[in-house]
Amino acid sequence: MRRWLRPGDIALIILLLLPLAVALPRLGGLAGPPEVWLTWVGRVTGILGLAMMLLAGVVSCRAPGFDRPFGGLARLWHLHHWLGFTAFILVMVHALALGLAAVPASLDAAVATLFPPVSHGSIWLGWLAWLALVVFLAPTFDFFGQPHYQRWKRLHLVSAAALLLGLWHALLLAGEAWPWWLLGIAGLGAIAWRKGVAPRRRHAYRVEAVDPLARGVVELVLRPEGGGIRYEAGQFVYLSPLDESLSAGRGEEHPYTIASAPSDSRLRIGIKDLGDASHALQTVTPETRVLVEGPYGEFFGRRFPERDMLWVGGGIGITPFVGGARDLAAGASVDGHVHLFYLASDSVRAYYREELEGIAEAHEAFAFTQHYSRERGRLDEAFLREHCPDYTEREIFLCGPPAMNAHLRRLLAGQGVPASRIHSEVFDFL
Amino acid sequence: MNMNKIAYSVFIAFVASLLTLISVSALSSSEREEADDEGLDPITLDELAEHDGAESCWKAIHGRVYDITDYVPDHPTDDEVILEWCGREATEGWDNKRPGVPHSPRAEGMLDEYLIGRLVDEEGEPVESEAATEANGNANGEADSDQARLSPAEDERLHRALLGLPLDGRYRGVFGDGGEMQVNVQFDLRDGQLSNISYRHLAYRDVDYRRLDEDDDLYPVWVQHQQLAEGLEGQPLTAIFALHEPERLAEDIDGYSGATLRGNKVHSAFRDALNRGVYSWP
Repeated sequence: MRRWLRPGDIALIILLLLPLAVALPRLGGLAGPPEVWLTWVGRVTGILGLAMMLLAGVVSCRAPGFDRPFGGLARLWHLHHWLGFTAFILVMVHALALGLAAVPASLDAAVATLFPPVSHGSIWLGWLAWLALVVFLAPTFDFFGQPHYQRWKRLHLVSAAALLLGLWHALLLAGEAWPWWLLGIAGLGAIAWRKGVAPRRRHAYRVEAVDPLARGVVELVLRPEGGGIRYEAGQFVYLSPLDESLSAGRGEEHPYTIASAPSDSRLRIGIKDLGDASHALQTVTPETRVLVEGPYGEFFGRRFPERDMLWVGGGIGITPFVGGARDLAAGASVDGHVHLFYLASDSVRAYYREELEGIAEAHEAFAFTQHYSRERGRLDEAFLREHCPDYTEREIFLCGPPAMNAHLRRLLAGQGVPASRIHSEVFDFL
Repeated sequence: MNMNKIAYSVFIAFVASLLTLISVSALSSSEREEADDEGLDPITLDELAEHDGAESCWKAIHGRVYDITDYVPDHPTDDEVILEWCGREATEGWDNKRPGVPHSPRAEGMLDEYLIGRLVDEEGEPVESEAATEANGNANGEADSDQARLSPAEDERLHRALLGLPLDGRYRGVFGDGGEMQVNVQFDLRDGQLSNISYRHLAYRDVDYRRLDEDDDLYPVWVQHQQLAEGLEGQPLTAIFALHEPERLAEDIDGYSGATLRGNKVHSAFRDALNRGVYSWP
């Protein structure tokens, strides 16, 4: 995750602190015997926890463009993940602190505070909200191995119940209700948009061609039925194939990076056989429909536009750079010079290589270097230095398998390249 | 360590803490119930009534007596609200923090710290709160009605009523003039003595004296009225005739002479209260 605060982060922090700021004057002080500060801690963690839960809902809306102020959807998803888990931890601290605050009175009072008679409905609403959190978070604790992605996504809808119950709990107990109405409407509205409105706003495309690039890798060429989406190079979309003959993943949405230039009349997507759904897509029937939602991400979001760029793509991670190179070839203006290193195991796996070499020959602003690990081992400093002597001065973009990313980050850090000058969008479980 | 693992660890710790809290509470409360009310000191209503103020405040709640003197300054409301119930059976106040809303389980736990005894009648039998008595009314019907039906030779309340003497209890009365209610007093009468005297209303020509600030011109008059009430506190009922010469009870303050205070109006409100009879039984 970036250490830089984005405009979206600042908005989130303000919204997060709003209910606390409104409630703080009535929470009293921290000074005093344990029951006083435990009560204070219990209330503050409760307020922050619910605010985080609701904001986790807000950032899950995945509206195209909404991710840009946060630095892309991958980063927004990390924020969502972080907000959700922190909220879960905070609400437990909240309950325990309030229970412990009653211990100086008596143990019975502590138990009765946490588990009062049923007539104290507001407390039980809080427990139901917590239970709902446990239900949909439990699979991520890996009790039963990695959860099945699509099933887990459906289970995640229980979060809407958790938000509703938590909100109800707070509205019954809070002094000022308006911040909760504000965050509650935003959070539940975002979920309603995601599940209700967004699926109907997807763009319909037809599969025009399925070009095989290598074994287990194809490029889908998609023709828009209507207006199609507008995107920038390096962005990605969620793709839902509707081909009835697919063996898996029909109607399911999965994220894929766009490999075409924004000016292209066709949407091109490079797909590697990595799972059931992407395996099935290798043989998708031409002229069937797919639904496309997006675009998302800001892969080529520049932070140092005055510098030249180093692009390093490995395996199917070459696709955003293919999009970038094609954009360049189509005449897009780019700030500075670009040098692309393509890491593949051998020439059979170096799909797109010829096209990229062609672009490099025709365009002075774009240089291309192929690297085969079967011949030379892992990419090392000497190879980079030989082909691109000023690579440490450039703004660097990485995309590839996690091991490659980690290796390159170590290598670059060893050469004194600050982390802020390295971009990489790693998306697992999006 | 990633977020999932931290959350999972906190989840386990949370559930374990809850279970510990519940089991420790369950195990320790079973001991306490054995050492129940029998072990507590018996306290009669008369003893209870001696501790009716801020200097020593005892209360009977659900048959148990608590010495909450040390807690009074910490109570979240004004002192008056909590002091009103000192020296008395206070179950009603306890069960109605706001009308119909009892105190929290946590407050109940705090109360336990101040437990000093159990409430008994003259024979040493446990006294239940009124609310509890009403609830058990049918079950114990016979025993209760035996107590209620005293012989005419020993029923003191009957004697006082027959002689036209005011009965013990809480009284309320008003004085009005020119279509305006000016004075409303409340007081308790116990063994012919005045206590807990307060103004429920005090106004003249649209000035509500009870709402005045200290820097208001008429504030001294409000202070003087309070002095009237304080002067009568603990006095026999007949002391209300001193109100005809209010300078006996109220000082001169800031040019407002005690002698010109309208003590007659207050006296009249007291007489109205007595005419109306007991407002609520002690």
